[in-house]
Amino acid sequence: MKKPLIIALRMFTLAATLFAVGSCASDADSSGLEYMPDMYRSPAIEPNVDYGEIRGREHKEYKTILSSLTPPNHTIPFYGTDSTEVKLMLPGRKASFVFRETHGLFGFDFSMADEYTLAAEDKTNPYTMTPANAPLILASGKEIYTAMCQHCHGEKGDGQGPMVVSGAYVGVPAYAERAALSDGQIFYSIYYGKNMMGAHGSILNKKEIWTLVHYVRQFQRADYGKFDANGKPMTAAVADSTAKKTK
Amino acid sequence: MKISNIQRFKRLSTVVAGVFTVITFLLPNQVLADGGGDFKAKCASCHQPHKNSTGPKLFQVRTKWATGGAKEGSIYQWVNNWQTAAANDPYAADVSKWSSTAMSQFPDLSKEQINGIMDWIDMQPDPATAATTTGDPTQVGGDPSATEEEGSFGWIWIVIGVIFVIIILAVGGVRRQLKHVTSEEELVEKLTYGEELRAMAWKYRLWVGLGSLVLLLAILVTVLQGLARINVVENYQPSQPIVFPHDRHAGVNGIDCKYCHNSVTKSKSAGIPSVNVCMNCHKQINGEGKPFADQIKKIYTAAGWDPTGAGKYTGKTSPIVWNKVHVLPDHVYFNHSQHVVVGGVDCKQCHGDMKTMNEAVKVQPVEELNKIEGNIKLSRPTLTMGWCIECHAAKDVPLGNGKSAYYDEIHRRLKDNDKTLYRKYLKDGKVTVSELGGWECAKCHY
Repeated sequence: MKKPLIIALRMFTLAATLFAVGSCASDADSSGLEYMPDMYRSPAIEPNVDYGEIRGREHKEYKTILSSLTPPNHTIPFYGTDSTEVKLMLPGRKASFVFRETHGLFGFDFSMADEYTLAAEDKTNPYTMTPANAPLILASGKEIYTAMCQHCHGEKGDGQGPMVVSGAYVGVPAYAERAALSDGQIFYSIYYGKNMMGAHGSILNKKEIWTLVHYVRQFQRADYGKFDANGKPMTAAVADSTAKKTK
Repeated sequence: MKISNIQRFKRLSTVVAGVFTVITFLLPNQVLADGGGDFKAKCASCHQPHKNSTGPKLFQVRTKWATGGAKEGSIYQWVNNWQTAAANDPYAADVSKWSSTAMSQFPDLSKEQINGIMDWIDMQPDPATAATTTGDPTQVGGDPSATEEEGSFGWIWIVIGVIFVIIILAVGGVRRQLKHVTSEEELVEKLTYGEELRAMAWKYRLWVGLGSLVLLLAILVTVLQGLARINVVENYQPSQPIVFPHDRHAGVNGIDCKYCHNSVTKSKSAGIPSVNVCMNCHKQINGEGKPFADQIKKIYTAAGWDPTGAGKYTGKTSPIVWNKVHVLPDHVYFNHSQHVVVGGVDCKQCHGDMKTMNEAVKVQPVEELNKIEGNIKLSRPTLTMGWCIECHAAKDVPLGNGKSAYYDEIHRRLKDNDKTLYRKYLKDGKVTVSELGGWECAKCHY
C-alpha cells in the first residue's frame, strides 16, 4: 500500500525533471542530449570542429587558431605522382610582389618582374589534348567550369553569369574579348588571380586549371577541341602577337 | 614601327577632334550610347562609376583632375598610355601611385571616345544613395529572443506548479490547525500528513490504483520517447559569427555549392570555405546598406583586407570561428566525396534546399527533407544510423554505365560470374547500396 504511492510520487518528480531537461532541447543553439559527448568532441583532429572546448575543458588558444584557414602555399596537391606529369603541371611563372597586396598571396614565391607578361610565351597547355582524351577533358572541364566559374563568367562564357545578371557583381569580361591570351596567361589568371578576380590556386589543383584552360578556349574558338581525320587539331596555333598588348 | 603608328593615329585624332565635338552636340544620345558600350568593353573590368575597384571610381574624374591641378589634356594621354602621362604631368604621376596594379594602355581610344565614356559615367546615378535596404541580415536566422522565450516556457510552468503545490500545502496546514483548534479533545483526529494521505488513498483505492497505472504508463512512454531523442540533433541550429544568407548566394546569385564547399568532391569533409574564397567576390561587393556592410566588414577583418582607397591586403589575418552544424560521432566514418562523386547524391538529399534558406544552417528534420522533390523519402531522424541505413537500402547504384570503372567492374563480375545473384538483386528493378555491401558494419565503423 505504502510503496506504490511513494514510487508514483518519485516517478512524478522524475517525469517533471525529464520534462524540464527535454525543454532545453528546443534551444536552437543546443544540439540536445548526447549519450557520450566525448564521441562528438574527440581529441582526434577533425576539420571545423571547435577545439576550444573538449570534455568540458576550455582551450582558448585553440579556439582562435583552428578554423578555416587558407591552405598554405604548396599544400594543394599536384595531380598524380608521375614526375613528368608533376613537372608539366607546375604553374611555371611566379606572381609579382604586387600580388601580396592585391590578392593577399602572402607566403608565395614572388618575382620582381611581372611574369604575367612573360607567361604570354607559354603557348602550349602541358595537359595535351588528343583525339582520344578530348571528350574526357571537355566533359570534366564543363563540370569544373559549372561549379567554379559559371556564376560570374556565364554558361556561355560571355561574362553574363547569374551574379552579373542579378547586379551583384560587375566587370566580368567575355572570353571572346580575351582570345589573344596565351594558355600560360589563362593559367596564371586562374592560379594567381587577375585584377578583380581572386586567386583560385587554393581551391583547384594544377590539372583542373589546365583542364579549364582547354574548356575556356571553346568560348573563343568554336572548333577548339575538334580534330580532323588525321588527328590534327582543327584550330591553328594561338595568335600571340596581340597577347602582349592586352594586359 | 607600332609606336609611330599610334602616334600618327593620335595626331590624326586631334585633327578630327573638332569635327567630332560638333557631332557630339548634334547626336548626343548616339555618342553617349557608344560611351556606355566602350566603357563596358574597355573599362568595366577594372573601373566602376561610383566605387573603387581594381581601378579608382571614375565619376566626374575629369573635374577631379582639373581641380587637382592636372595639365590640360593629360587625362586623355593617361588613357592612351598612362606611362607617358605620368612622365609629363606630376598630377598623373601621383595618380599612378593610387594602386600597385598598372593600368592597361588604350592607344586606340580617341579623345572623343574617351569623352563619350566619361559623359556616360557622369550620367550614372550613384547606387549607394539610390539603394534602399532590401532586408536586414540581423533578421536572418530567426529572432534569437523568440527561441529563448520558447526555451524558458517550460520553466515557467514548473515554477507555477511548484508555487501551486506550496499554496496547497500551506492551505492544508491552515485547515489542519483550524481543525485542531475546533476539536482539540478528539485525539483520534491527530494524524500526520502521511497518515491522512494514506487513509485517503485507501478510501479511494480503486481510483488511486487506476490513476497511478495511467501515470506509470505515461511516464514510461515519456521516458522512452526522451531516450529516443538522445543524440538526435534535428533542428540543431547554432548561431554563427557571420550572418550568411544561403538564398542570396546560392539562389539569387547562382553560385554552385561546390564553389565555396570545394573540398566536397575531394575530401571526407565538405569544408567551410577559407576566407580567401569569400574575398573572390567580396573584394568588390562590400554590402549595400549598413547591416550588410557590417557583416562583410567581418570578412575584411578576417582576410586582412583594407578597403580604403584602392584596397590592399595587410597580411594581418584572423580566423573566423564558425560553429560546426553537422557533427558525427568519432566512431562513424562518413566521406563526402564518396557520396557526391561516386554515389552521385545531390546535396539537397541530406542538407535540404539551401537555395531558399534564409536562416542560419540547421540540421534539417527528415520531414523537411522528404518534402523536397527528387529526394529519397526516409522516416528516421536525420543524422541517425537508422537514417543512413534506410537510404542505403533505397538508393540505387548506377551499374555499368561507363562512368565509374569500379562499378563497371562490379557489373562485369555480377554479369559474368554470378547471374543468379544479379537476378536476385534486380528483383526490385535496381541494385541498391546495401546489396553491394552498404550495410556492412565495417563500411562505416572501424
